[in-house]
Amino acid sequence: MGKIKKKGQAGQAKNYITRTQAIKKLQISLPDFRKLCIWKGIYPREPRNRKKVSKSATASTTFYYTKDIQYLLHEPLLQKFREQKVLEKKISRALGRGDVSDAARLERNAAHPEKTGKPRYTLNHVIRERYPTFIDALRDLDDCLSMLFLFANLPSTTAVPAKMIARCERLCLEFQHYLIVSHSLRKSFLSIKGIYYQANIQGEDILWLVPYKFNQRIVGDIDFRIMGTFVEFYMTLLGFVNYRLYTSVGLKYPPKFDQLKDDQGAELGAFALEGVNLATNGETKAITNGEAERGPDPKVQAEVDKLVQQLRDESNGEKADEGSPADEADGEENPSDAIDKFEPVAPGGDVLPQPSYSSSDPSQLFSKFTFYLSRETPRQPLEFILRAFGCKRIGWDSVLGEGAFTTDESDPSITHQIVDRPVVRAAVSGEGDGEDNQTAQKLGPNHRYPGRVYVQPQWVWDSINDEELKSPELYAPGAALPPHLSPFVKPTQGQYDPTIPLEEQQTEREAIDAELEDANQEQQEGEESEVENDMDVASEEGGEEEEEDGEDGDFGGFSEGEEEEEEEGSEDEEESATLQRQRELEAEISGKSVQGNKKVDAKTKAKLEAKKALERKKRQEAEDLERAKGMLSKKKRKLFEQMQYTNNKKSAEDMKLRAKRRKLEKERAQKT
Amino acid sequence: MGSKLADKKRKSRESDSESGDELANGLFDGVLSQSEDEEDYVPSDDADEEEDADESGSEGTDDSEDNGEDDDILSDDIPSDIDGEEEMNRLVKQQGELEITEPGVDPKPKEEDDNGEKNYRIEKDANGGIRYVYDEIDPVYDSDDTDAQGPVNTIGNIPLSFYDSYPHIGYDINGKKIMRPAAGDALQSLLDSIEVPKGWTGLTDVNTGNPLNLSQEELELVRRVQMGLLPDDLQDPYPDTVEWFTSKEEIMPLSSAPEPKRRFVPSKNEAKQIMKLVRAIREGRILPYKPPEEREREEEEKEEAHFDLWQNEEPQAPNPMHIPAPKLPPPGYDLSYNPPEEYLPTKEEREEWEKADPEDREKEYLPQKYNALRKVPAYGNLVKERFERCMDLYLAPRVRKNRLNIDPNSLLPKLPSPSELKPFPTVVQTIFRGHEGRVRSVAVDPTGVALATGGDDGTVRVWELLTGRQVWSVRLSSDEPVNTVRWRPTKDSFILAAAVGEDIFLMVPTHASVTPALDQASRDVLAAGFGYATNGQQQTLPAGKEPPAKWARPGTKLEDEGVLIRITVRTTVKVINWHRRGDHFATVSPTGQRSSVAIHTLSKHLTQIPFRKLSGLAQTAAFHPLRPLFFVATQRTIRCYDLQKLELVKIVQPGAKWISSFDIHPGGDNLIVGSYDKRLLWHDLDLSNRPYKTMRFHSEAIRQVRYHKGGLPLFADASDDGTLQIFHGKVPNDQLENPTIIPVKMLKGHKVINKLGVLDIDWHPREPWCVSAGADGTARLWM
Repeated sequence: MGKIKKKGQAGQAKNYITRTQAIKKLQISLPDFRKLCIWKGIYPREPRNRKKVSKSATASTTFYYTKDIQYLLHEPLLQKFREQKVLEKKISRALGRGDVSDAARLERNAAHPEKTGKPRYTLNHVIRERYPTFIDALRDLDDCLSMLFLFANLPSTTAVPAKMIARCERLCLEFQHYLIVSHSLRKSFLSIKGIYYQANIQGEDILWLVPYKFNQRIVGDIDFRIMGTFVEFYMTLLGFVNYRLYTSVGLKYPPKFDQLKDDQGAELGAFALEGVNLATNGETKAITNGEAERGPDPKVQAEVDKLVQQLRDESNGEKADEGSPADEADGEENPSDAIDKFEPVAPGGDVLPQPSYSSSDPSQLFSKFTFYLSRETPRQPLEFILRAFGCKRIGWDSVLGEGAFTTDESDPSITHQIVDRPVVRAAVSGEGDGEDNQTAQKLGPNHRYPGRVYVQPQWVWDSINDEELKSPELYAPGAALPPHLSPFVKPTQGQYDPTIPLEEQQTEREAIDAELEDANQEQQEGEESEVENDMDVASEEGGEEEEEDGEDGDFGGFSEGEEEEEEEGSEDEEESATLQRQRELEAEISGKSVQGNKKVDAKTKAKLEAKKALERKKRQEAEDLERAKGMLSKKKRKLFEQMQYTNNKKSAEDMKLRAKRRKLEKERAQKT
Repeated sequence: MGSKLADKKRKSRESDSESGDELANGLFDGVLSQSEDEEDYVPSDDADEEEDADESGSEGTDDSEDNGEDDDILSDDIPSDIDGEEEMNRLVKQQGELEITEPGVDPKPKEEDDNGEKNYRIEKDANGGIRYVYDEIDPVYDSDDTDAQGPVNTIGNIPLSFYDSYPHIGYDINGKKIMRPAAGDALQSLLDSIEVPKGWTGLTDVNTGNPLNLSQEELELVRRVQMGLLPDDLQDPYPDTVEWFTSKEEIMPLSSAPEPKRRFVPSKNEAKQIMKLVRAIREGRILPYKPPEEREREEEEKEEAHFDLWQNEEPQAPNPMHIPAPKLPPPGYDLSYNPPEEYLPTKEEREEWEKADPEDREKEYLPQKYNALRKVPAYGNLVKERFERCMDLYLAPRVRKNRLNIDPNSLLPKLPSPSELKPFPTVVQTIFRGHEGRVRSVAVDPTGVALATGGDDGTVRVWELLTGRQVWSVRLSSDEPVNTVRWRPTKDSFILAAAVGEDIFLMVPTHASVTPALDQASRDVLAAGFGYATNGQQQTLPAGKEPPAKWARPGTKLEDEGVLIRITVRTTVKVINWHRRGDHFATVSPTGQRSSVAIHTLSKHLTQIPFRKLSGLAQTAAFHPLRPLFFVATQRTIRCYDLQKLELVKIVQPGAKWISSFDIHPGGDNLIVGSYDKRLLWHDLDLSNRPYKTMRFHSEAIRQVRYHKGGLPLFADASDDGTLQIFHGKVPNDQLENPTIIPVKMLKGHKVINKLGVLDIDWHPREPWCVSAGADGTARLWM
């Protein structure tokens, strides 16, 4: 007989460790443990069998891998935590002795991350450990950015020191500057939660959420210590990521920061980017703050800019000109960096995906325009997006802060003005003039400068998402905006897509149903107009009934019993037969020719028949499915049913959406 | 001390004055005597001392003697002559020691004193009477009692005026009166004032009444105090130190050792310490002092050091145990500030959402539409959502779930389309109504023309299969149901077997298709055994033992109807199964213990009970269609016996709890088993004892299973849920291939009565038709 095995000595029990045990092993407090876990990216694990793992009778809630905890044992941060603990103990002991000066001295030595926002330790090694390559770090940047952008917009409290907020804000702005310079912003989406941005850096898609510039409501019990721990980590991470990104585009990091401008609300304009070497220096400077720097004399600046623009355009044109003849005369090889387009020579081969080689670079979408933001528009996101898509000259009302290209609305160089206010009627405008004085605009609210495009902010977003300039008429001030659609939704087969007309995506059955309903309605209307003959009530009823039946079948899926359908089928036939008979009889009795109705009847009848055929087919399919399902093993059948369930749920949702849309479309049609 | 001296001086002066003053003589007698006493006392003291000396001397002699003895004792060691003087000294010392140890308290000499001379004097007192004056008793405290300051008035803190009328002014410590010092008269005072004695103050000591004079020292003290000088008369409170040892330079060294190296070589240790500091300063660990506020400011201003953290990055293979946190899903259309209108919730949806618990909601937001960007408010739950994400990141266990991103239909097996599987029964063709109560059993005759049914009403009916017309009927019992009916499977006769209670009836029904020749042939088959049976029985039956069955004629009434033989066995028969040749048939009566399975031989009218003992209750039994094998099903197992070798061949274990029925494939290698626990099991007898396929499509117990015997790959089962299920079950000729089983059709039509649905089924011998018997009193033909 072998050795008697004790419980909890081998196997799963050894692999897992409860949180309490882990804390005991590391000899730190729970908050310190939490910090360590957050920074080192250690998370609890769900054992296959909880009972086998827990050594105690009471159910433990959180299990970690023992290996993970062992790995924590060698963490240098652990020593820092212990030192901090010792220091705290010393202070408390000094206070207990009444040795205030000693306590004060120790206190002075202690690190106060909550005060200065800077702890004694650094997290550099942790970041390097967690993200061995830069790409790994980029991959994990979603949460980091969302968190830092949120914290940059939080009010400062005791839990969230002002220093931390300021640092978050700076890091975020620096990151935005990189996106502007590298034109790597791809998509943006105005949601009810905030503004989503998507950038593509080195092939990684990064999606983050920036809240609207409002005071954030803090509801429920939110532990800011935990969030603070995350933010501490993320700040360090983004600092290093920014460094790497800046150096990758030949910029110096950190960029020069103008405190004065920042105090005046310049935001992005408070930073001055510098090139690492002299060659790139001038250019990069021009990219970021060419015009924003020179606020004092916008007119001169505008002229200069115009000149520069013209020059640049010319040079571009020349380049293009140079390019085109070269391309044409491409008999001999002309080496270029651009990707060549592969065209299939003979049919039959697979088509490989290739990066699009469009003539218009989306990153220069707004490069030729000068924008002016009205004071009711959100300046920060607009400035960021416009700059990221090539716009160089953005002016705004002086109330929106420092750093505008121009604060003068009447500047002739402005090509687009973004307005987000309702159109005011002339009568009202006369009154409103007096109140509007403080903005130093002597113009009526409805005053339009000729030769300028007035659009609502959504125009910018829709334009960049579609990578083309949308027609501004749709987005004119006061106009009902077209729906703003998320650019992140990937259209999948069979899912509802609001951009595609309903007819293309509805199922056959739905189409028939809809048409039947339409026909019924028409009929009803026709009747109401001409004769009060209730002949069609029956048919209508029949139609409705059938419709209901059909819907039942649809929703119930295949779970329904077959007998019902069996009977239904026969009943359907019977019903239609009786219906027909009744109609004929009634026609005889009334002695009227029901030609007009009959035409419609014929139409609906065809529809009805189609529907019936469809139903029959469906029933057949259901039966087949049932038979096939019977052949599956129990396990597979369960899996199948689960998948079926989710699919059905999704399709039911889609169907609901389609139904709603149909209704809306009908209403709209009726109105017009 | 000074004051004491002063006292004495005063005393002496007073005595001087007394001598002059005669008036006060009498008065001051006591005082004088006192002083005299004192004077006396001193010599007495001396005398004491002398006495002591004497005593010590006497004692000393003793001691010396003792010492002599001591010497004797010690004489061995030291010669006594030399130490004479020393010894004397020692003696003196000893005496001293003795005195010290016993400081004259020795009572003996005192007593001697008392005895020798009187210790009092007799004097005349003031009245002329005798007065004994005793010597002062010396308490001999032998202490340098500095506190004892002569006569001290003990009257306490009361005014001295109380004693104005007395000659004394109080009492000393011994209770003796302190006499009032003589107050000089006017002349005396005048004289005093003229001739002021040194230290005269003109004051009177309160305690003693004497004039208070100060001594020279005291006056000096007072002067010094007044001058603000030290009261003590020291020459110089701060004298210069006299450097006794260093004032002079020594010429000669104290030690002649050479100068040690450490005196002139620089210290290594110190250099180390200094270098440490230097290094710390260089490295910036030690900073020049700055006021704390300034330092704090500087620290704040100091930028965080940035460098390329991924300078020499090495891609690592991800840890297989590490699961990266899933990213949040991207926002969909419904999250837009201006979504397509179909995404907006209807009023009911909104209400439902609001009513639901926040945890139950499918989405934590409601889609909303704002017609301008400026109208979009802040999202209230943003911080909370972010916090929850944080919590998820650090506290949620991550589990890798393999999501099968496949079309669920790809899981389904590829089945041939039903049209390829045709023919199989799909619809009801004929409904046979007529039985009162349940129809318990159906059987289609071997020619496929007639259908026999048996029901709860005790009748056996024969119908025309296609038309549903009843052609023949007989009531076998008035109270017991017909449990089963089975046709003899040969076409040369038209014989039906039916079981009612303990009786088995064999009959030849009249039918249109039955020619008289056939009828006669049938009757002959049945009658053939009569002669034989009697003989055989008489021979084989052991005496005293009841035969397993009695073969008899059922009586004329039944015989007229066509029922020709009645076999009575011990217990109720539930199952009859014919051998394919029609000579034998097996009956099973589950309640009969030993005799539950019986094999009847028609040609001999013989009944045999093949099993002495059966493990479990026999449920049903059947003959193998090709070989001489016999299958018996108990509740859990099916046993297969070889009838020739009379041995057990195989035990099939379907795994069902309670087998209700089974059927053997006409090929003989496959078996289907139906069970009361809703399972239909297909066994490949060559493959395994365990089922090849288990099918559970019924929601209630399965009553009967049947293969199609006429060459079509079909089988069916009947269940209490009122349905029949038709399966396509093709057994390939190739041994290596597995049989394909495909469910084909579910036939619904029978009503469920008292939880009983379809009780029996049978297939048409050639066509894909089947007949079912229902608890609803009908039998149905499906085609």
